[in-house]
Amino acid sequence: MKLMDYIDERLGLTSLIRSQFIDYKVPKEINIFYTLGFIALAGFMIQAITGLFLLFYYVPHPDHAFSSVQRIMNDIPYGWLFRQVHVVGSNLMVAVVFLHLFSVFFMGSYKKPREFHWLVGAIMLFFILTFCLSGYLLPWSQLSYWATTVVANLPTGFPYIGDIIADTLRGGKSVTGLTLNRFFGLHVALLPCLMSVLIAIHIFLIRRTGISIPPWYERLEHTPPSGYRHATYPEGQPFYLFMLKELSMVMFYIAMIFFVIAFLPTLFLPEDTLVEANPSRTPEHIRPEWYFLAPYQMLKLIPSKFLGIALQLILLLVFFFWPFIDRSPERNILKRPKLLTVFIVTTFLWIILTITGGR
Amino acid sequence: MSKKIILLMIFMLFANSAPAKEEWKRAFEEEYLKILPVGEPEKVSVCIDCHKSEIMRPELRKIPSEWRQSWHAENNISCHDCHGGDPEDEKMAMTPERGFVGKPSHAQIPEFCGRCHKGILEHYLKSGHGIALRKTGHAPTCVTCHGSHGIKKASIDIINEDLCTRCHSYERAKTMKLALSVVETKIKDTEDALKELRREGIVIERDEKEFFRIHAEFRALFHTTDVNLVKDRTDEFTRRLKDLDSRLSAYFKELNFRRNYSVFFMLLFAGMGGAIYFIYKENKGK
Repeated sequence: MKLMDYIDERLGLTSLIRSQFIDYKVPKEINIFYTLGFIALAGFMIQAITGLFLLFYYVPHPDHAFSSVQRIMNDIPYGWLFRQVHVVGSNLMVAVVFLHLFSVFFMGSYKKPREFHWLVGAIMLFFILTFCLSGYLLPWSQLSYWATTVVANLPTGFPYIGDIIADTLRGGKSVTGLTLNRFFGLHVALLPCLMSVLIAIHIFLIRRTGISIPPWYERLEHTPPSGYRHATYPEGQPFYLFMLKELSMVMFYIAMIFFVIAFLPTLFLPEDTLVEANPSRTPEHIRPEWYFLAPYQMLKLIPSKFLGIALQLILLLVFFFWPFIDRSPERNILKRPKLLTVFIVTTFLWIILTITGGR
Repeated sequence: MSKKIILLMIFMLFANSAPAKEEWKRAFEEEYLKILPVGEPEKVSVCIDCHKSEIMRPELRKIPSEWRQSWHAENNISCHDCHGGDPEDEKMAMTPERGFVGKPSHAQIPEFCGRCHKGILEHYLKSGHGIALRKTGHAPTCVTCHGSHGIKKASIDIINEDLCTRCHSYERAKTMKLALSVVETKIKDTEDALKELRREGIVIERDEKEFFRIHAEFRALFHTTDVNLVKDRTDEFTRRLKDLDSRLSAYFKELNFRRNYSVFFMLLFAGMGGAIYFIYKENKGK
């Protein structure tokens, strides 16, 4: 007890915990979708921890990468567990982030004063997908090699700068050991640092403006006419209670990871991942990971490489800056039939493109 | 006004795009995969191009399609790997300077195939078939049983009455097939087990190599046509396959362990999730 007092006198942890977890109130009306951000954060932490263990045995060299991954799977005690959690976790994390994005859009949580939250979140999504792309190559399997060849070739559709971007990404005209080194550096050094900074900014922004509430409870939130305002909810629930809800969802998320490992162990590790990369032999069916299937299929359907990529870039810009494009003060999408239609049609098209792209 | 400018900019952006191509769906992957790791366009085989063309006699024109269906094609063994020559240079493709050896005579076939299948050649030359070939030049060779360009993965079924009785009675071959069948069945089971492990995500290269060795040695033994030798060595192959199987069984046990371990953690975390949610609900109501 004396030790606790000693620490508390110097750090003031008791008052910090009181102010952040008990006195800090969040609205009672927030639903289960509000836990998705925390699940994504927990998912990122799981990736960081399992990734660190994999790093102990992984060798980032074309001659050894594949065999080192097989060694992790077959010889290193519990290596399979760390790799499987890392692989399944990455896919589930992307799914959670997509769901988070959809719920934020649907509940209009990106609107004033939370435009920057969306922007930072969108940049994080971009980095997460870059994480996935760079990590996908590391096992140096046939699937990872050729999927990377396709994706890394996409920027070449752009005139003038396309080849420069693609060559910089690959470290040459094709996917080689240099690409492996670059992707490895990105995956384990640069991206984790950038992501950590962005997560910190995202959390800072949420704490700074206060959490939003679903638009159908808008009457509880008094929109200020102008100027900065921290959204407070004196009648709300203490944050630690909401943390319990978030924690329970994280537990279900981890249970889901183990469900996939137990019953669908090869869902994200099909047979082509068990064959070492062979640059001279193109597999029959090449396709990127499921979250890249929609843009991949879109490129297939648009009969011009440049047009396809330009269209995707425009869509990407619209996505990034959506809160600044959508200036309507109405947060409730149910009261905006046009936007609701666009939302449903876009989601439907995305699903159709993903399904057809996977065939 | 600003909307018009934006629309004009978008139009200008797309105005530069290339016109639609025919069969663009198929062209897509070629387009995106055209850069090979060496940074050069994909190499074509002049052997195949020429053999497919109208200038070839019909019996020679069917060779490329036969080869594509073959076990050799599946294992990346191409024309020049057997016949020599230069598949990238049309003019020099069939010159001795580029190592072209062309079609071997009937008597040369065992040596021709035996450049790669060394163990089999050794056994074949000691066999009745090999001795007869040396003496008369007219005995069965590799292609008699296996065919040439459309060669399939070999199996014990190659020893059959139709084929053997083209030259002699089936009795001796039948006894041989019976002696081989025990090990052959075991080989099939082991091969299936290795495939099953692969499907489950386990690749054990050293065991796959060991299996390949046993398989190759056993197949080489076929070619002695010596029933007594086959019978003598059956025990040895059976023991080696049994050792391999016990290792594979350990992997299957490991897979079961992994599944049970994951199920345990799945239930543990689901239970913890449920318990925490219950605590949350209880406290929220207060």
